[in-house]
Amino acid sequence: MLRGLYTAASGMIAQQRRHDVITNNIANINTVGFKGGNAVNRTFPEALVYAMGGSDPSANKVGKMSMGVFSEENLLSMAQGDLKETYRNQDLALVSDIFVDGVNFDASGKSVDANGQITYQPQAFFAVNVAGQERYTRDGSFKTTQDGTLVTSDGYPVTGADGQPIVLGQSWENIAVTADGRLVNAETRGALPGNPQLRIMRVDNPNLLVREGDGRFRYAGEANGLRQIEAEDQVEVRQGFLERSNVDTTQAAIDLMAALRAYEANQKVIQTYDRSLDKAVNEIGRV
Amino acid sequence: MNTSMITASVSMGSLQQKLDMLADNFANVNTAGYKRKTAVFEDILTSVNNQLNDFNQPGRKSPLGLVEGWGTRLMQIHTDMTQGSLLETGIKTDVAIEGNGLFEVRTADGARAFTRHGPFQLLPDGQDQRVLVTNTGQQVIGAGNQPVRVPNGYDLQIAADGTLTAVAADGIASVGLGRLKVVELTNAELLRTLADNLYGIPDGVDPNGVVREPGDINAAGIAVRQGFIEQSNVNMADEMSDLMMVQRAYQLSARALSSSEQMMGMANNLRA
Repeated sequence: MLRGLYTAASGMIAQQRRHDVITNNIANINTVGFKGGNAVNRTFPEALVYAMGGSDPSANKVGKMSMGVFSEENLLSMAQGDLKETYRNQDLALVSDIFVDGVNFDASGKSVDANGQITYQPQAFFAVNVAGQERYTRDGSFKTTQDGTLVTSDGYPVTGADGQPIVLGQSWENIAVTADGRLVNAETRGALPGNPQLRIMRVDNPNLLVREGDGRFRYAGEANGLRQIEAEDQVEVRQGFLERSNVDTTQAAIDLMAALRAYEANQKVIQTYDRSLDKAVNEIGRV
Repeated sequence: MNTSMITASVSMGSLQQKLDMLADNFANVNTAGYKRKTAVFEDILTSVNNQLNDFNQPGRKSPLGLVEGWGTRLMQIHTDMTQGSLLETGIKTDVAIEGNGLFEVRTADGARAFTRHGPFQLLPDGQDQRVLVTNTGQQVIGAGNQPVRVPNGYDLQIAADGTLTAVAADGIASVGLGRLKVVELTNAELLRTLADNLYGIPDGVDPNGVVREPGDINAAGIAVRQGFIEQSNVNMADEMSDLMMVQRAYQLSARALSSSEQMMGMANNLRA
């Protein structure tokens, strides 16, 4: 059988996956706090190919060959989204520009040093309690339930710095949120009863976050890569703003075309193989 | 199978909903006391294609599993309760609220409803009094949770704290009518939008968690202005830029849809 047929088929599937990821990015260009995905492809493991026949088969080595490609992971792009002013007191945006000593991050939030060691920029997230488990989000479009609990737009309680939900017995009209996430009286800037503060977590390597939908992420790394932000971390909460999706529409439109054409190229390769097979099956040996 | 197609069509549906909401805002750009609506989107239903441990190759950056998203949905529509600008009309039954308050009215079936829609009217009750109603006919509530009644031949005067006085045509004789009921809104998310620019409290929600009756409305930062109407808080520039963004997002999703359709076509035509 012609091996390349399967290689091209795997190429079509991988491009389809890439197209799916880009479509999902495009779908979410209006989603608050959305972080775009980026499909990463990898070649199949290489195989050593031998020619058949001859007295010493070990001398017939042809070389290494890879048999295809697959979609390996869907990496999150953690770049900061633009802020949009909403004038709503319960709308909170996180501006996260965490600085690591001696490292300059590029626009995509990574830094490669002279030894090829890659450092990712840590990112800050709001903590949310989903059925007893902690999840992380950049979607700060919060609201208040009837009993005064601060919840996300789909109703899960936002966690406070003490690990408990934030319950306020008063209208949000009079509440201000400071840059470090404390909730204070809007007029006097005085502390509220119980000193409520948002639990804002710093994730050292954001690649270890797994998207769960509804704007939330699950942390799948070691516990020491996750901690509450401290004063020296450059993280700021902005009240009355929301973070827009960080998807770049121009890039998405181009990637879409690229994925489509790469898919088409693989299709053409399959058709070419099909014609070769046609010749082999129907024309060779015709009398 | 074709995730792109599903994702794109789901998102076009939710963008359409946002477009409808924007059209509502545009239509009410001249409605007195109208509060604009804003939409919040969320990404939906992420699935994970599990991967075996063999997939954990050097250079891999994320945990095992290929995460796939399925588009977006319109999660919630908020009512933006910011103040609209006040327009002076000089008409005595035009009343506007400054601050975070709402007039209380009774709907035809006697239920509590709230509004910022201040162009009121005095409707003769067939006896010798006139009843204060909104211009869609709901009675405006005053002292003692009773409708406001003004004797014939008297003018209505409303002070900044909501005190109602009926003043005779000679400008001297006056009758105290108690106070206009203005409630302070404490949780706008729980209000339900009704027709006629009214807001209601849904069944099963405790009204005390939504509105509060302040003893002195001025102390709560609310003032009543007679002879003014509050204009809609829709800002054309904001709505237009939102509209353009929705339109472009819709176009881009349509583009993704047609592109995935082409891919399906290619798969179908593998064997031409």
